[in-house]
Amino acid sequence: MAQWTRREDERLLTGRGRFVADIDVPGCLDAAFVRSTVAHGRLRAVDCTAARDVPGVAGAWSAADLPDLPPVPYTLLAGLSTEDAVAGREWPALVKDRVRYPGEALAVVLGEDRYRAEDGVAEVTAVIEPLPAVVTPSAALDDSVRLFDGLSNIALRGEAGEPVDPAVWRDAAAVVEATYRQNLLMPSPMECRTILAVPEGDRLTVWSGHQMPHRLRRELAALLGWSPDRIRVVVPDTGGAFGSKSAAFPEFVVVAHLAVKLGRPVRWIEDRRESMLVATRGRGQDQTVRLAADADGRLLAYELKIDADVGAYPHLGVGLPMQTAWMAAGAYTTPRVHATLRSVLTNTMVTYPYRGAGRPEAATAIERTMDLLAGRLGMDPIELRRRNFVPPDAFPYETPTGRRYDSGNYAAALDLALETLGYDRWCAERDRRRRDPDALPLGIGVSCYVERSGGEAGGLHEFGSVEAHEDGTVTARCGAAPSGQSHETVFPALVAKVLGVPEARVRLVEGDTDEQPEGLGSFASRSAQVAGAMLQHAATLLIERARTRAAALWGVPAEQVEWADGTVVHAAPGGASATGLGDLVKATGPLRVEDRYEAGMAFPFGAHAAVTEVDPELGTVRVLSLVAVDDCGVVLDPAVVRGQAFGSAVQGIGQALYEGIAFDDNGVPQLSGGFLDYLLPTFAELPPIDIKDTRTPGPGTPLGAKGAGESGCIGSPAAIVNAVADALRLADPGLLQMPLTPDSVWRAAHAPEHEEGAR
Amino acid sequence: MKITLDVNGTRHALDVEPRRLLADVLRDDLRLTGTHLGCEHGICGACTVLMDGAAVRSCLVLAVQCDGSSVRTVEGLAGPDGEPHPLQRAFSAERALQCGFCTPGFLMVAAGALEADPGLADDPDAVASVVGSNICRCTGYEPIRRALTRAAREQRDATACPARVQPRSPEPIEENS
Repeated sequence: MAQWTRREDERLLTGRGRFVADIDVPGCLDAAFVRSTVAHGRLRAVDCTAARDVPGVAGAWSAADLPDLPPVPYTLLAGLSTEDAVAGREWPALVKDRVRYPGEALAVVLGEDRYRAEDGVAEVTAVIEPLPAVVTPSAALDDSVRLFDGLSNIALRGEAGEPVDPAVWRDAAAVVEATYRQNLLMPSPMECRTILAVPEGDRLTVWSGHQMPHRLRRELAALLGWSPDRIRVVVPDTGGAFGSKSAAFPEFVVVAHLAVKLGRPVRWIEDRRESMLVATRGRGQDQTVRLAADADGRLLAYELKIDADVGAYPHLGVGLPMQTAWMAAGAYTTPRVHATLRSVLTNTMVTYPYRGAGRPEAATAIERTMDLLAGRLGMDPIELRRRNFVPPDAFPYETPTGRRYDSGNYAAALDLALETLGYDRWCAERDRRRRDPDALPLGIGVSCYVERSGGEAGGLHEFGSVEAHEDGTVTARCGAAPSGQSHETVFPALVAKVLGVPEARVRLVEGDTDEQPEGLGSFASRSAQVAGAMLQHAATLLIERARTRAAALWGVPAEQVEWADGTVVHAAPGGASATGLGDLVKATGPLRVEDRYEAGMAFPFGAHAAVTEVDPELGTVRVLSLVAVDDCGVVLDPAVVRGQAFGSAVQGIGQALYEGIAFDDNGVPQLSGGFLDYLLPTFAELPPIDIKDTRTPGPGTPLGAKGAGESGCIGSPAAIVNAVADALRLADPGLLQMPLTPDSVWRAAHAPEHEEGAR
Repeated sequence: MKITLDVNGTRHALDVEPRRLLADVLRDDLRLTGTHLGCEHGICGACTVLMDGAAVRSCLVLAVQCDGSSVRTVEGLAGPDGEPHPLQRAFSAERALQCGFCTPGFLMVAAGALEADPGLADDPDAVASVVGSNICRCTGYEPIRRALTRAAREQRDATACPARVQPRSPEPIEENS
């Protein structure tokens, strides 16, 4: 153990990790899906006959062959969807009569292995009558092409805050407007989606790389018409998730249904080609903003209009843009903020939480607009931010959009970011280059973000327990489910610290619904904040219970029994009695505290700063420096949090510069080259990154931890885009839309509106 | 088709379909599931193994192409007595893994580079090209660079003064490239 930094490391470094695809179940069938090659069309016929004759194929089914196949369940959890949005818009697990996104499953083939299953897929024929496809909100808005006959493509309208009085805009010293595109992204965990369903007696064991095992159990039980206790969901090692692994996906419905129908183990191990076609997307918003200030740079009003691309079915991410609306105000005391949104159905796979989940879209919009306004006012963008920050003594701070920020010191984060960056030195270099016609232009950008972690009201709790054993060891259980966040290391360390026992004596059990009957899971950066606080609370209760028991055992008042380093102690005049936790359990029976703990919503924040060099002739962007200062309150394990911040920042760079999906004229993503057509950052693109933190405790729990891990995706993109806009000195920032590919940067640099010209 | 494969020092006589990928034969036929499939088109490198000492994407190699070859996977990285490979220790020490899915591929491409290039410790560009050959979505790569550099220095120092187990004093590995 001593040579491994984390408890997870030994197995993961020696090839003994266990991911779902590694689990060997005799007789298991592999599922492969027949997928639509068109984005939108009427399904006229599917014929699986020939597939059934393929050697090694156990069966092939279209929707017509499986009349009892339930539809894809939707969730109203956290306002991700609404009954109104879902009504009349059923998502069939296999297409019944209408294809609504490219890659939607037309049929499933089960084979003795994936090769046989794919042999079968090749023999299935389908007739689809193509319909015009709409793949952007602007194309879908006018309902000239409807995804559901008789229903509008606008599945949900929402707003936060009150409309701004027109007089405010009219009387303001400066008003700026802009439009932004929040590019549609692929979360792209290195392990794609997985499910293995094993029927045993009257129960079903489901193995899945998943963020919410209890939700998966509940949804599978509902669609099978079973009581939840007949289903056990186990989450083994999971190869990343980033928000994209928390649902019961269409393929999961099919696999569970067939496993029960056939009484055989069935698994689906998504491959990358499928993932790029049909895994959930992130972001995808068209935004229009308006921001007003007085002559001193005091913000007067901010308006954000969102047309969100929510994909083909409104079951999942239709309410996600509300996260953007609620966080629209950003880090500032703007007195009037109004955000409105339309969630628009398009012929794309559904949009769903991806690391940041609605908050990057809010942060990028306000932070890009702050730079625009600073330019209009002729004011330094740093100074404009400072003048408008919510001050440290104003917390809790109620925003006009309905959020209650818990704590913060936004200026301190910005100060540290600028100091770390060497802001003055870079300003001097920027100015030098502006005077040198041969120098490549350089720009500096900052982004000051606030985000929300933990979840929404009604989903801010977690379940778990702490149990002491006769041998003195302790087992902690909780409903979280990690996918790389080091829970096995961090949570036992936390419990051990509370109890005052060596870390090695505490072990963690999670990701198994038979072991931990209730739970919410790992999403919204909630595990440390909520599950951590729950475990701290449960461990504290365990100490109280141990003291009470020892008092009864010794026949003394409980207040005379103290707790020290895992031991109950009674200091009496005649001599001290002391009993270790294990002996106490031996003497008094099992000692276990179960808990449901509710945390407050938390608002992590930070300041990111970037320096970029742009070649206007090539359109290339080189990030010379990126600084991320994040404040997630009390930090449980600094190295783990740092690792999260660093990886998140690199994903933020991906959104800013590289990641985007191109569609052909028929609405099909142009991804035939796989990861050569969708560019994830590699080490070759990695700029120097400095990660720093400030630590303002969160008042929402005694633990004081706020969410960590989504910060880079939220803070970094706007810093980079602002730096590029600064380098090019663009009058119209709408010319720069993410990802800032050479093509888009070149066009922006050569647009007629180009102000002064950096070269 | 009948082939023989030497995997991690054990000889296997196998009868495999010609179309089967090396990765699938390792994982399914030999139950060596440490080799992971991340993209199946040769980009991400999660499935990297050493074939006759050279790093290959096992999703781009047919098992029959390896007939008579020697293959090394992550399961064969530790010493015969189970002592972890310097790369395994360095990856843990530098926090070069989070979810661990891409890790076996990074370990094997790094192991191939370490064995092929004794001067790796003093060649940051070569280290960069090794780290740049695979995709990791969690760590942001910098910890992987530090881990490879740490293991390369350990190898260099052990070669320079084989009597010493520990180098004189650990050189700090700079935070950024």
